[in-house]
Parts: sequence; C-alpha cells; structure tokens
Amino acid sequence: MKLNKNIALVCGLFLVLASCKPEQNHYVPTPYELPQPAYFPSRNNIPADNPMTEEGLALGRKLFYDVRLSGRDGTDGIRNCASCHHQEYNFDFSGSAGLHHSVMPLVNLAWNHTGLGWNGGVATLEDMVMAAVTSPVEINADTNQIVKYLQKTNDYPELFEKAFGSREITFINIQRAIAQFVRSLVSADSKFDRYLRGEGQLTEDEMAGYELFCTEEGADCFHCHGGGGLALMTTNLFYNNGLDDEFNDPEDRSAVTGSHRDKGAYKAPTLHNIAVSAPYMHDGRFTTLDEVIDFYSEGVKNSENINPLMHHVMDGGVQLTDLEKTQLKAFLNTLTDETFLNNPH
Amino acid sequence: MMKLKPLVLVLALLAVACTKPKEKAAINLNLGYEVNGKSLVTDTLCYENEAGNQFLFTEIQWFLSNIELKSEAGDWIMLHQQGLADTLDISRVYYIDTDIPESQTLHFSPVKPDHYTAIRFIFGLDESDNRTGLFTESPESEMFWPDLLGGGYHYMKLNGKFLDAEGRLAPLAIHLGIGQNEDHSQFYQNYFTVELPIDFSITETSENQLDLTMIIDNWFRNPNLYDFNEYGSHIMQNQAAQQALRENGNDVFRIGKPTDNENNTTMENGNRFAEKFKNVMQKAAPKPHFWTWKSVKERMGSPVGTTENRQVV
Repeated sequence: MKLNKNIALVCGLFLVLASCKPEQNHYVPTPYELPQPAYFPSRNNIPADNPMTEEGLALGRKLFYDVRLSGRDGTDGIRNCASCHHQEYNFDFSGSAGLHHSVMPLVNLAWNHTGLGWNGGVATLEDMVMAAVTSPVEINADTNQIVKYLQKTNDYPELFEKAFGSREITFINIQRAIAQFVRSLVSADSKFDRYLRGEGQLTEDEMAGYELFCTEEGADCFHCHGGGGLALMTTNLFYNNGLDDEFNDPEDRSAVTGSHRDKGAYKAPTLHNIAVSAPYMHDGRFTTLDEVIDFYSEGVKNSENINPLMHHVMDGGVQLTDLEKTQLKAFLNTLTDETFLNNPH
Repeated sequence: MMKLKPLVLVLALLAVACTKPKEKAAINLNLGYEVNGKSLVTDTLCYENEAGNQFLFTEIQWFLSNIELKSEAGDWIMLHQQGLADTLDISRVYYIDTDIPESQTLHFSPVKPDHYTAIRFIFGLDESDNRTGLFTESPESEMFWPDLLGGGYHYMKLNGKFLDAEGRLAPLAIHLGIGQNEDHSQFYQNYFTVELPIDFSITETSENQLDLTMIIDNWFRNPNLYDFNEYGSHIMQNQAAQQALRENGNDVFRIGKPTDNENNTTMENGNRFAEKFKNVMQKAAPKPHFWTWKSVKERMGSPVGTTENRQVV
C-alpha cells in the first residue's frame, strides 16, 4: 500500500509538472519598415504602442477588405473600409457616400500630424477606425458584436495571435491592425515624383502647368498644396479658400479649435493622385478637375474669414486663360501614381 | 624630496586657477513684436502704417540665422540651438511663428560666460543655408520657396488683411525671400544682416535672458514709404517691393521687450474699424490698380535689385 501511494504521488507530481510546462511562444512579429520616399519628411506618426509589423499589416489589410468587419451577416449597408475607400480612386470614394463631408483619400497619412478628416477632428488613425466603424452613417457596427463575431471565426484568432501575441481578439487591436495597413499606403512614384528625383522629365505643357502651380502670379497653389519643396503635396493645414461667403457647417475647422478665425476652413488635401480623387472639396461640390480650376480662376468668394493666402480673391480668383487652365490640369495629371493605384498588395 | 612637495602643490593650484572658464552657461533669446508702439495683437483690424493703410496681421512666420555675440575682446561667437550638434546647419537656423508660442524663445547652450557688447544675425537665410531640402519636417518645410523663384525658403510671411483703396478688406501676404527678374534668369538675395549693440553679461549661475523685438510698422516706412495699394497684396515676384522692404529692414529690430499694451486705445480703434467695414464686404470686385511687372519696369527703368548683402548697423 505504501508503495502504491508513493507511485501515485510521483505520478501526480509528474502530471503537475507536465501541466506547468510553458507554452511555446508563437508571437514573433516581423518589423515592417515604412518606405521613406525622397523629399518626404522623416518624422512619421507611428505611435509607440502600435509599431508596424508584417503580421499587423497583413491582418489590417484583411480586415480592411473583409465584410465581417461589420460584425454582422447579410448584405445591409456599408460593411468594411473598402466599401468607401476604393484603391483605384486613391482609396477615396467616387461619388457621394451620403456623409456629412465627402470621403477623404487614404494616402501618405503616416506623415500627417494635424488630425484626420476635413476638420482635423480625429486625432489618430486608430481613432478614425473607431469613428468609422461605429458611425451610424458608415459601418454602423457595435464593437462588442464585432469582437464576438470575429472570435468565432476559424481564421482571425490565429492572425491576431501572430500580430499581437494573443488569440483573444480585442477592438483596440482591430484598430491597431487597420491603422498599420493605412499607414503603409504610400504614394510616391507619380510622373512628378520621378521628375523630382531626376528620373524623368515633364512635357512643355506639364512644365508650364508646374510654373503656374508654383507662382503667385500664376495659379498660386503651392502655399497650401506643396510642390518641389514639400513633396507631400499638402501642408496638412486648414484654410478658408473662398468656396463660400457664409458659413453654416457645424463641423468645419472652427468646431475643433473654437476659433472664429477658422470659420469655413478645411484641410488642404494632398494632390497625390488628385485626378482620380473626385469629387472635390469638403462637400464634394465639384466633380471634375476642370470645375476646381474654374473655381480658383474665377469663382473665389471674399469674406472676413478668407485665408490671407487667397489674395487673388479681389479679382475673383487667379484669372487663368483657357490655355493656362489646360496646362495646369496637365501638371495635376502628372501627380497620378499608377503603381500605387494598381498595386495588388 | 620634501622641498618638491610645496612646489608641486603650487603648480597644481596655478593649473587650476589658469583653466579657461568652461562654456556651461545658457541663454534665452526672447522674441516679441510691436506695432504702432504697442505689443502686437493679431486678428484685429487696428493698425495703420505711414502710408495710411489700415491693416491687421493673422500670423507672422520667419527665419533668422547665424546669431552671434561679440565679446569685449572683439570676437564673434556663433550661437547654436540647445540640443543640436554644432556641425548641423539647422543648429544655426531658427523658425519663429506667432502661432507657435514656444518658438518665440530661442535657447542656446553652451555659451561661454563673458560680457558681450553686440549681437549680430541674418534676417532670413544666406546663400549657403538657403537651399531646398534643408528642412523636410513641418513647420519649417511649409516655408519652402519654389525652385522656379530661386528655391530655398521664405525669409518671412507676414499674413493679414488690409483695407484697400476702395475700402474693401483684402488679403495681405507679404512674403520675403529670394527675388528674381521677370524671366527668372536672375535671382537676388534679399536677406540682410542686423547688428545691434548690447550690454550683456552671461554667467553660469544666472538666468541669462535677452529680448529682441520686431517693430512691424518699421517695415513700411524708412527709407521707403511702403503702400499696400501700390505694391499689392502679394510680392514674391515683385523684386522692387522685396528690395524696398529689405532696405526698410534697417530699423525693424531693437533690443528689449515690446512696449506693453497698457491702455485700450489700440483695441478701441480696432473695434471701430471692424464695425465700420463689417457691412461693406463685396462678393465680386472690379480689378483694382495693383502692381504689375509692366508698371514696375516702367517705373524703375532698369533691371531691379543687386546681389550685394547690406550690413545694417
């Protein structure tokens, strides 16, 4: 009896020790190095608590395109990010999405430090995911429901473990993954980008359009939309550009800053891939680049809130000739990056 | 052997006494703005220049560079931004923005404790520093000056509004930088050097503060009377305007803090102007008489500008 008790004790100890064996660690993320295009800033907005990894990026891409991100079955309404952010349109939406403001493109946002959205009211990409997923006019989902839904799938728990070290899905990690993917959307290989790098040349009309773009006596676009010295093609700052002379939008920049000076002001969007990013302006009122150029040429409206950089307003605009409008448009078309728009990854 | 010990001790004491003072001191250069004899108030239509233009400023963004102090011995000592290696060009170039309060104080360290009799700096950037790509980060990168117009960076953006000849509130964008002739075949360096006397002792132990004020209305009067209606709302391609302002820069800076706005006179004027013109905004306007290249050439009669730097004392 004593021997049987000793054997039982040893077996029991063995079983306890076996159960305490540490689990094999599957979490070995692969760092992802954000591209650093020539003339782009080196300071990016990657947060310390969400470094970019190959696994995180892959998970984010999958979620971006997955209708299961909505946490529901069926085919009702907007189901995922790609419902409104189409790659061929600069990750923008071609048409009206029925939102308060028109959709903004998702490009080169890793270098945006002034907030997201037309009024800069959303601080980070991670926050933007939450806003879009829960907005009643966007994905209109419940975060708890999404988490439960994805947890039951066969594929996501393992992907979350590879990306974040745990099979337990959390919404914060959903935000982080999608934010990592969006940060990886970098466009810097348009004809103009290659011209800046010395890898190509512009045509005569395109160069004339660039001169108009970069001169106060021309179209004077560069103060807000960058150029050779600011390759992001935006300052990412906010301006009242004379679209209107009365301002009733409760979600303009002044709604964020509380400053009267910001009435009627909105973010200057990047002009990377602008030719495919219609409609234009915060309310999508212009559907073609021609309309935009016509506006800046003859349709600018004065008000006490107009930005000082819009100094051509006293003439109604920059007053371009038909030839100059054609040349300016030719230059804007050089900002299209087919590699980015057609990248299958 | 015993006789050597006092000698060694004396030598050691001498060595310590003769050691050069370490450059451990730090100084702050505090920047301020003054208009019409009072501290600057932005976004308020309350100022008038010598030409009779009524105006306001929304923001002022500018560079100064190569700040030096002159010791009593006559040596000029370059100051560098605290925290940046001296070998970096950007350690000598400073971006100041009225919308960024922390940019109004420049920190320099280490600085040799001494008594200094003058300060000298470049308004803007000189040829060696003023090159496209020096800054890739905001906000400095937003000051870029297109390569077609000479490249590099704006020396200054004075942005605001003014009442034009028809009484309309018009945008004002006084941007200084490299000038050019009409076909962009010749460029002009419009930066200038400012040298001001000071009586400034720097020690390791005290808080060393120096104040520098930009007298904004002085941009518009001496020796050139600068009329916004004559030169126009924007001047990047107007070398005549650039040169006039560059020459007027001779007395734009002074040592000391801005005069405090102790009474409401300026604000009352501002409110009066604002109310008077509140209802006269026009949606469309006939083309006013502003500067054009043709009118400048006719007035000047010859190629404008020079390439020489002018040291202002």
